[in-house]
Amino acid sequence: MSSFFDRRSFLRGMLRRGTAVCVALPVLDQFLNGNGVAYADGAKIPVRFGTYFWGLGLTDTPTGGTRWVPSKSGPGYEIMPELESLKPVKDKVSVFSGFRAIGDGRPNLVHWSGHASILSGVAPGVSGRFDGPSFDTKIADAIGTSTRFKVIDIDASMSRQPVSYSTPTGVTFAMPETTPLALYARLFGAGFQDPNSDNWQPDPSIMLRQSVLSAVKDQRQALMSGVGKSDQIKLDQYFTSVREMENQLAIQLEKPEKREACAVPTAPKDVPHNASVDSVRANTKAMAKLLALGLACNQTRVFNFVHTAGISEAYIAGESKIYHQITHDEPTDAKLGYQPETSMLAGLVMQAFGDFLVELDGIKEGEGTLLDNSLIMAFSDTGYAKIHSIENIPMFLAGKAGGRHKAGQHVHATGESVTRVSLTAQQLIGAPVGEFGTGSMRTARPITEVIA
Amino acid sequence: MAGLAAVGALTLVGGFALVTSSAAQTPPPKPSDGLTTKVALRRVTETQYRHTIADVFGPEIKISARFEPEQRVDMLLAIGSAQLSLTSSGFEQYFALATSISDQVVSEKQRTTSVPCKPADPAGADDACARRFLTAYGERLFRRPLTESEVLARLRTAAAGAKQSGDFYAGLKLSLTSLLLAPEFLFRVETAEPDPANPQEFRLDAYTKASRLSFLLWDSAPDQELLAAARSGAIHTQDGLTKQLNRMISSPRFEDGARAFFTDMLQLDGFENLVKDPTIYPKFNQTVSDSAKEQTLRTTVDLLVDKRRDYRDLFTSNETFINRPLASVYQIPFASSGDWAPYTFPLSSERSGILTEVAFLSLFAHPGSSSPTRRGIKVREIFTCQVTPDPPADVDFSKVQASTTGTVRERLLNHMGTAGCASCHRPIDPLGLALEHFDGLGQLRTMENGAAIDVNAELGSVKFEGAQGLGQYLHDNPRVPACLVRNVFAYGVGRKPDAQDADYLRGQATAFANDGYRFPDLVVQIASSPQFFKVAVPNGAERTSLAAAATAPLKTSKTSEGANP
Repeated sequence: MSSFFDRRSFLRGMLRRGTAVCVALPVLDQFLNGNGVAYADGAKIPVRFGTYFWGLGLTDTPTGGTRWVPSKSGPGYEIMPELESLKPVKDKVSVFSGFRAIGDGRPNLVHWSGHASILSGVAPGVSGRFDGPSFDTKIADAIGTSTRFKVIDIDASMSRQPVSYSTPTGVTFAMPETTPLALYARLFGAGFQDPNSDNWQPDPSIMLRQSVLSAVKDQRQALMSGVGKSDQIKLDQYFTSVREMENQLAIQLEKPEKREACAVPTAPKDVPHNASVDSVRANTKAMAKLLALGLACNQTRVFNFVHTAGISEAYIAGESKIYHQITHDEPTDAKLGYQPETSMLAGLVMQAFGDFLVELDGIKEGEGTLLDNSLIMAFSDTGYAKIHSIENIPMFLAGKAGGRHKAGQHVHATGESVTRVSLTAQQLIGAPVGEFGTGSMRTARPITEVIA
Repeated sequence: MAGLAAVGALTLVGGFALVTSSAAQTPPPKPSDGLTTKVALRRVTETQYRHTIADVFGPEIKISARFEPEQRVDMLLAIGSAQLSLTSSGFEQYFALATSISDQVVSEKQRTTSVPCKPADPAGADDACARRFLTAYGERLFRRPLTESEVLARLRTAAAGAKQSGDFYAGLKLSLTSLLLAPEFLFRVETAEPDPANPQEFRLDAYTKASRLSFLLWDSAPDQELLAAARSGAIHTQDGLTKQLNRMISSPRFEDGARAFFTDMLQLDGFENLVKDPTIYPKFNQTVSDSAKEQTLRTTVDLLVDKRRDYRDLFTSNETFINRPLASVYQIPFASSGDWAPYTFPLSSERSGILTEVAFLSLFAHPGSSSPTRRGIKVREIFTCQVTPDPPADVDFSKVQASTTGTVRERLLNHMGTAGCASCHRPIDPLGLALEHFDGLGQLRTMENGAAIDVNAELGSVKFEGAQGLGQYLHDNPRVPACLVRNVFAYGVGRKPDAQDADYLRGQATAFANDGYRFPDLVVQIASSPQFFKVAVPNGAERTSLAAAATAPLKTSKTSEGANP
């Protein structure tokens, strides 16, 4: 999908959509002035974008025992048991049910095809790779260049190899921060400049660091010649990293704009390294708090947050089986119509998402909150985890996107492609994207009900 | 219209662009073109980075950073590292690390030994002295001599830095940092050139050959002597190659190479993020985790490198090493005053071979339980190179019993009785069930939920019992040494062996057997074979030579002359 964000597909999408969705435009203004929302001193508040991922879906069984899909569509949906944690912010969260990943003959790669489809628009051919970039990288390219960090990646799961599902190439994935301490060091450690400080001075050593990069860049042409195609892509990614570092240094030489919502935190304590559901929730909460402050202090505008990986290793302390095993092994209770322990665990996992949104909502910005000025697309890898279903994958759009998101709705669309939600997210953030996805997942139809 | 203009502007903002199709239309380069081509770009691993810095600047240089995660492809990280690039946050880490290394190397204390000359004026630029410094270290870091333009770019950085800060050494630090950040250092750029003896063929150039040897045998960049053999071309001759290999295999640094290889093959990198539920396994902690990894590496290197024993003994030998934290897990006394002590497992411990050490047993289990399936999958994958496909997505587990009664064997038998599951589970589960006397941390047990654990296993017509039986089964399985041969080759060349390598690998496996399954001999045998240096030209490589790259601007200037008389 190299074509997405290009002018042709944008126009094509516009034509197909007709007038109804022209409300998603104009776009660039969105990026630059945050839909007219302003701080008290008149400075514009930017809209932030993030993804939030958790593993193992939510409970909605073939026997009808749903624990998360509200019965009615439209605004004012009822809080289902597994969505209990969203209660405090439900008017700022839209729920999407019934959407599915479509493989077009490609196999369902367990704990991989679902989110790969949502992020890249293509059902992947092999596990561990996407067949295209994840769309968050395009948004970061567009709105992430004026902050010190183009994007912040977080994996709070504390298990196995740290994961991120953000990739500009489909091969190399981002390296996430995994502990509050590391996240703090990145956002507020060396190189952080308090935007509200009255005695800001440019750091002369930054210019010296810039000269280091120019020598590296000088050799680009010589290095790129005689290189095979896949290696060219790798080198492109390398030189993109160099450019981003240059951008970061250039930003640090400018006096930062004041941010009234910015409060610089103190260094957090390190957390015990274990993956019990409680520990992962605490870790998520601590990292969410730091991230929220990082956003408020304008250190980044884009983030990708992994709560637990596709094959979650989270467990309840003292239980010999991990959550992942339980989703597969636990029988469906004939009376209830669902797996009670699995559902209880799903509810616990969703508490972390609720915590995260509450953190964002707790920071006042202008006349609203940080959550009002953000859009977070949250999703999982599966629908009904017991059978690795990629039908009815739970998806959410949280935050009002600076007023553009008509939040607080439930949208149900059985069998529709997950890429419709992805496209909607891109348009809500103001990306000039008219269509997204390939094959049966190609769509030019955003979910207009939630677009203001 | 304003909207459209905005879109155009925005498209430019996007940093990523897929490589244009022109590269795909370029026919593959031919040796007769007389030009070099780059055949692979392999990201330097964390241990390779650490070893290189220690070799070039001394072991006292502190390296504190988080390295990019690696990716295992076709069973090896070494294959994955030939496919990965680096991310922006990874680059940030490398930048901070490079700066810290340069600060240490050029510190006031170190510079008397690390800088080979004194500047004419310590408060200003000195190109001659900076050049001596940069060419010497540049060759070690890039693993080949620097081109003139590479030197000049760094001299500019050094001079600008010296001028701005009024300190020659400050400029020197910056130029060293830029070497340490260069893609030519962070990636191994493998280059091929036309073979003079056979102009229709490419061969790896001498420096690429030197790097392949050095990273395979020492897990580090080539030393001065190896670079000299590349410079003189001696490495292209069988005598020259043999001389270097003999020198390298008998160096104590071969142990570093063996450790790196077995860390990759045995997937011991998994220890970095291993978690256990402390309520179920209170003895597990970071020290136990680090010790378990070290135990398996020590046992392996001692047996295969120091004692030069038969590779297959790795599965049956009861000789190992323990330290105090491990002694507690194994429930044995630790009487030594040193950190580590040799130890022989008694017969009653049911332990022999590396499969019965805490490393394998805890790594391939769940946080709160053992996992015969996971262990079985890994025994096959790691030691016999047989990969188990992912389970079908819609598998029905609803008949699987709860884990609070009976043993895991009964629960798994259900898999083996179901047609869809049996084809995979039948060859996997027995391998893991034989290890069921060890829990998810690797502690010995004989009961589960009050029931005695049965560790009999049946694989087709073969029957064995328990961990020791499994060890003997692997010892006698011809796939096991053949898999090692495959892994050493794939690890060294950084790619998955293809059909054309099959005969070669069979021949190597036979030679390995004839030599008595000695691991060091296998490494030498593979590294001295032409197949190890075979060139696989990638798709869409544009061809050029360093000379051609330098003259390339001339072509465009001709055109522009026409346009601007």
